[in-house]
Amino acid sequence: MAIGVAAVVVMVSMGRGIQKRVLDMIHDMGTNLIVVNAGHITLVGGRERQSAIVTTLRPGDSDAIQDHCAFVTEVAPETSRKMNVQWESENLMTDVVGVTPAAFQVRNIKIEMGRYFDSAENDTARRVALVGSVIVEKLFNAEDPVGHRIRIGQAPFEVVGVMKAKGVDANGVDRDDRILIPIKTAMRRLVRTTYIQKIHIQVAHSGHLQRAEKEIRELLRERHRLWDKPDDFTIQNQATLVQTEKESTRTLTLLVASVAAISLLVGGIGILAVMLTACRERRREIGLRRAVGARRRDIRTQFLLESLIIAGLGGFFGAALGMLSAFLASKVGGWPAIESWDAIGLGLILSAIVGLIFGIYPASKAAALEPIEALRAE
Amino acid sequence: MIKIKNIKKTYTKASVSTPVLRGISLSIQRGEYVAIMGTSGTGKSTLMNILGCLDKPTNGQLELDGVDVHGLDDDALSALRNKKIGFVFQQFFLLERTTALDNVLLPLIYAEKYPVDAVKRAKKTLVSVGLEDRMEYLASELSGGEQQRVAIARALINDPDVILADEPTGNLDSKSTNEVLEIFSRLNQEGRTIVVVTHDRAVAEHAQRILELKDGQIINSVANSKLKNSSDH
Repeated sequence: MAIGVAAVVVMVSMGRGIQKRVLDMIHDMGTNLIVVNAGHITLVGGRERQSAIVTTLRPGDSDAIQDHCAFVTEVAPETSRKMNVQWESENLMTDVVGVTPAAFQVRNIKIEMGRYFDSAENDTARRVALVGSVIVEKLFNAEDPVGHRIRIGQAPFEVVGVMKAKGVDANGVDRDDRILIPIKTAMRRLVRTTYIQKIHIQVAHSGHLQRAEKEIRELLRERHRLWDKPDDFTIQNQATLVQTEKESTRTLTLLVASVAAISLLVGGIGILAVMLTACRERRREIGLRRAVGARRRDIRTQFLLESLIIAGLGGFFGAALGMLSAFLASKVGGWPAIESWDAIGLGLILSAIVGLIFGIYPASKAAALEPIEALRAE
Repeated sequence: MIKIKNIKKTYTKASVSTPVLRGISLSIQRGEYVAIMGTSGTGKSTLMNILGCLDKPTNGQLELDGVDVHGLDDDALSALRNKKIGFVFQQFFLLERTTALDNVLLPLIYAEKYPVDAVKRAKKTLVSVGLEDRMEYLASELSGGEQQRVAIARALINDPDVILADEPTGNLDSKSTNEVLEIFSRLNQEGRTIVVVTHDRAVAEHAQRILELKDGQIINSVANSKLKNSSDH
C-alpha cells in the first residue's frame, strides 16, 4: 500500500515536473522556434547527444536560410566549445558559445548587468563577452565582472554584461555556466573553425513551423549537395522538441503508474487478507458486540473503518516515501519532479478508496455473522 | 416479564435434524430470580440464547416485557438486547486489550443515544461490583473473578430489565463464585430480574425458583424457598 501511494505521489510529482519543464522549455527557447543541428542528434537517457563532430553546417547556410526562406523572421547561428577561462588567479572550464546578436531575441536571453554586444562588434570580431551567473560566482567570487578582462584560452576578452540566470535546460546543461561571445570572434580568433554547430530559427507564426521546416530542409539539402544521401543535419521544431521531451518521460511515467497500480492492488489484497483474518479471529468479539446491541451496520462500519485506518497508515507512510522519492528523483536522478500537496492528497484518497473497496467484503462478512454463531466460535 | 409458549428448537446439519428444545412454556415475573438447571446437552444454553434474542426458535412464541419478539427485524432485536437484556457469559467475553471501564461502556456505544454521563455511570457500576480500584486495568490484567464482575457491570450499565447469565461461575474458583452469586442476590433484592443457567445445584439454590431441564423439556419447577413441586408449565 505504502509503495503504491509512494508511486502515485512520484507519478503526479513527475507529471507536474514534466509540465513545468515543457513550459520552461518553451519560454526559455523563445517562441515559434526551429533548431538545425549539425549531424544527427540522438536521445540518450532523454537528453540530446550529438553523434560526432560534423563540419558541414556553415555560416553561409544560416545566411541562406535568412535570405531564402519566406516564413523565417530571425536566424541565430551558434558554435560552442569547452574552454579554459581565466581571471586573475582564478580559472575554470566552461562552454564558450559564439552567437550573433539575433540570438538574444531568438533564445530569450536577458541581461542582468551591463549590456549586450551588438552587430558591429560581431562584424569586427571584437573580443567582448557576456557571462552567466555561475561564472560570476565561480570566477569572480560574486563580484561585478562588467569591465573586467578575462582570458578565454589565450585571448583576452572584456566582460560587457551578465546574463540573467536561466537554470539547467532539458538536456541537463547549466545555461548559467557559459560565456557568450560574438560568433565571428569565436570562429576567427578563438576556435578557428569554418563550421557551426547549430542554427536557431524563428518563424513568424506557429502555423508556419511545418512549412518553414520543409523549406529549410530542401534548402540545406541543396546547399550540401546531398541529392540521394540522407540529411547531414537534424531539424527539430518546437512542437517536436516538446513532444520528444514528453515522450522521453512518458515511459518512466507509465512505469511508475504500473508500479502504483500493482502496488495498490497488492496493498488492497493485503488489507483484504488482514481483515478476513481479523473477521475470523474476532468472531467472539463480533458476537459480544451483537449481544450488547450492535446492529449489523455497526459491525460493518467498524470493520470498514479499521480497513480505512490500515490503508490510511499505509497511505501516510507512502506519501512520505513518495515525497522523498520525488525529491531524490529530481535532485539525484535529474528527473523532473515537483513535490506537491495535491499529489499527497491524491495518494491518500487512493489509499482510502483501496481500503474501502477491499474492506467491504470482510466487513460484510463480519456483519453477516449471526450473534450466537459468533459467540460460539472457538 | 418473560413469557414463552411451546418453544421448540431443532438443529439441522447435513439433513440430520436434532431436536434440542421440545416444546417449553414458562413465564418469569419481574423481579424473579430463576435458575435453569440441567446436565450438559439438555438445551439450557439454547433456551437462554432464545430468551436473550441471540437465537431464534424453530417454533413457539417469546414475549419480552409485553413485546412479541417473533415479528422484530434484526435491528429491532439489537435494540431490544441493548435496552432490556444484560448478558453474563461463562467465558466473560471482555475485550482483552481494553480497560475495565471501556468494557463496561461498550453497550452504551450502541445505545440509541450515548448518555452524557456515560463514564460516571460506568464508574458507579464498577464500584457497585467492588472494582473501584480496577477501572483502568486492562481486562487481560484482571483475575477471573474480577473479569466476571466487569462483565456483570457491563450487563448492568444500560439498566436492563433482565440479567441472563449462562454458567456465570463455570470458570471461577469458589471465592469468586461466592462473590458473583452475592452480587446476583443483591441485584435481585434491589428488584432486578435474573435468570441463571447452570449445571451446578449449589449455584441454582441461590435462585428463588429452579427449573430443571432434561432432553429439551422442563421436568421440574421448584420454588426454592418452599422446596415443593409446582406445575406452572
